[in-house]
Amino acid sequence: MPSLADLQAGMRHAVTSGDATALGTVLVGGRRAQGRLAIHQRHYEASLVTALLDRFPATGWLIGSALTMLVARAFVRAHPPVRPCIAEYGAEFPTVLAAHDPGATPPYLQQFAELEWHVGQVSIATSQPPLVWSQFVCVGAEVLLGVRLTLQPGLRYVHATWAIDDLMKIYLTGSAPDLFTLADGDTWIEIRGARGEVRFTRLDPATFLFRTALLVGLPLGDAAERALARDERFDAAQALIALVADDLVTAITPEAGVEA
Amino acid sequence: MSHWGATADASARRTPRSAGVGLRLSHLAEVVATRPPAAWFEIHPENFLANPHAGELLQEVAQHYPISVHTVGISIGSVEGIDRAHLARLRSLVDALDPVLVSGHLAWSTHEGAYLNDLLPLPFDDETLAVVVAHLTEVQEGLGRRYLVENPSSYVGFGSSTMTEAEFLCELVRRTGCSLLCDVSNVYLSARNMGYDPYRYIDALPIDAVHELHLGGFTSEPDEATPGGEVLIDTHSVGVAGPVWELYAYALRRFGRQPTLIEWDNDIPPFATLAAEATRAEEVASMTQKEARALAG
Repeated sequence: MPSLADLQAGMRHAVTSGDATALGTVLVGGRRAQGRLAIHQRHYEASLVTALLDRFPATGWLIGSALTMLVARAFVRAHPPVRPCIAEYGAEFPTVLAAHDPGATPPYLQQFAELEWHVGQVSIATSQPPLVWSQFVCVGAEVLLGVRLTLQPGLRYVHATWAIDDLMKIYLTGSAPDLFTLADGDTWIEIRGARGEVRFTRLDPATFLFRTALLVGLPLGDAAERALARDERFDAAQALIALVADDLVTAITPEAGVEA
Repeated sequence: MSHWGATADASARRTPRSAGVGLRLSHLAEVVATRPPAAWFEIHPENFLANPHAGELLQEVAQHYPISVHTVGISIGSVEGIDRAHLARLRSLVDALDPVLVSGHLAWSTHEGAYLNDLLPLPFDDETLAVVVAHLTEVQEGLGRRYLVENPSSYVGFGSSTMTEAEFLCELVRRTGCSLLCDVSNVYLSARNMGYDPYRYIDALPIDAVHELHLGGFTSEPDEATPGGEVLIDTHSVGVAGPVWELYAYALRRFGRQPTLIEWDNDIPPFATLAAEATRAEEVASMTQKEARALAG
């Protein structure tokens, strides 16, 4: 009699691959119980493929639902979710999708699908009350460079080599023109969203690097250095003022051991 | 044995005995905006834990309706153990909502770090019992409250099982102090698929442990395992079937009036359709109570 661990390993293989031979004759139910495992296999695949198609509708619009579904099926077999919240499933799908048949799909497919992933994530975010400038004034100038800023949860920064935000706007507004030429070239995109709303803003590269560094938790001084390394004309004070004016900062954390 | 008595009693006092409705994301905004008449709502926490906006709306709903939390991601039957990170997230949601009931399934869904997004069957033997008892104890301690275990919808079983599903559930109740969620549709569906009597199954469950009932729709399809036969699939995509309403009335006679949930997870209709199913469940419960009073008096 197989152990519970062996049974579960066999069922996992059957559910993700459709091959139930490892379970031999241990199953009961109907005359040929292995056939009924197809119900679980089908549910696993259908529920996750549906989740992916729901998460990447714009990508399906771009390359067609047949190809999206084909790759989604392969993806769910090879990459089962690792968490039970299915809203968190699919971050790696753009990479797999773009690698499927690179010659037959647009060169910007991965970037566009990744943008869509971020759009989905920020659209279900909430927004927090922003800090106002007077709350910065009480931070001493000598410690200001060491503070870390918490930015709005519905913020993402995407560097693309195509103007994929323009394409996404066409999808989101349903306003496809008769002819559209997608521009290539570095594009620095800020995506801000909350409660179903999404907005794109193009940034200059230095501001993009500054805000990205703050979002990942670097101190203000380090974020400014990154921006200055990109563009020596970067004005950190103005960038900070703009960040606050855009209602993007929600908390200030002083450097450990230093009183703000 | 049961050290969750006080929590369970407090929850039971707040739990409506009437029929509630499964609250899915597609109805969330409507419920917040219109506050339709509903006795209570049951949610799948996994739909809200990774969706902060939905979580915010849910908090609003919880201010006006009793909430029951029905998890699909706590895999009490997985030999590899409970996902403690998920249990901790669930605990924070439970603390925030203070639900009247918290429940999950007698099933497994995780294996070596993969989440299989299905409720997979277990053999009913001593090894499984030891695994499920340990995990259920961990879940109840992790959540700080009694957990209700739901009977599964079954398409296959295991030749190695040494007890029936009902016997297994009775033993779980005895060893962990958990309660039971009797999904009447699952009883009917599993009995049809596996070839046993659904009424005898209901008879075999411990009366005092059943604190919630579920009703959901299923569909039938040709049975790959038995050419010419059919298998019932727990799709939750249609209304409750006639024979299940009859079995529900039988369950009410045995367990008394219990909070009953209408589940509808696929091809989700307008909210009013769910409310109508809940009304029908109320009518069946009222009729059953009247019959009981007539018999007693």
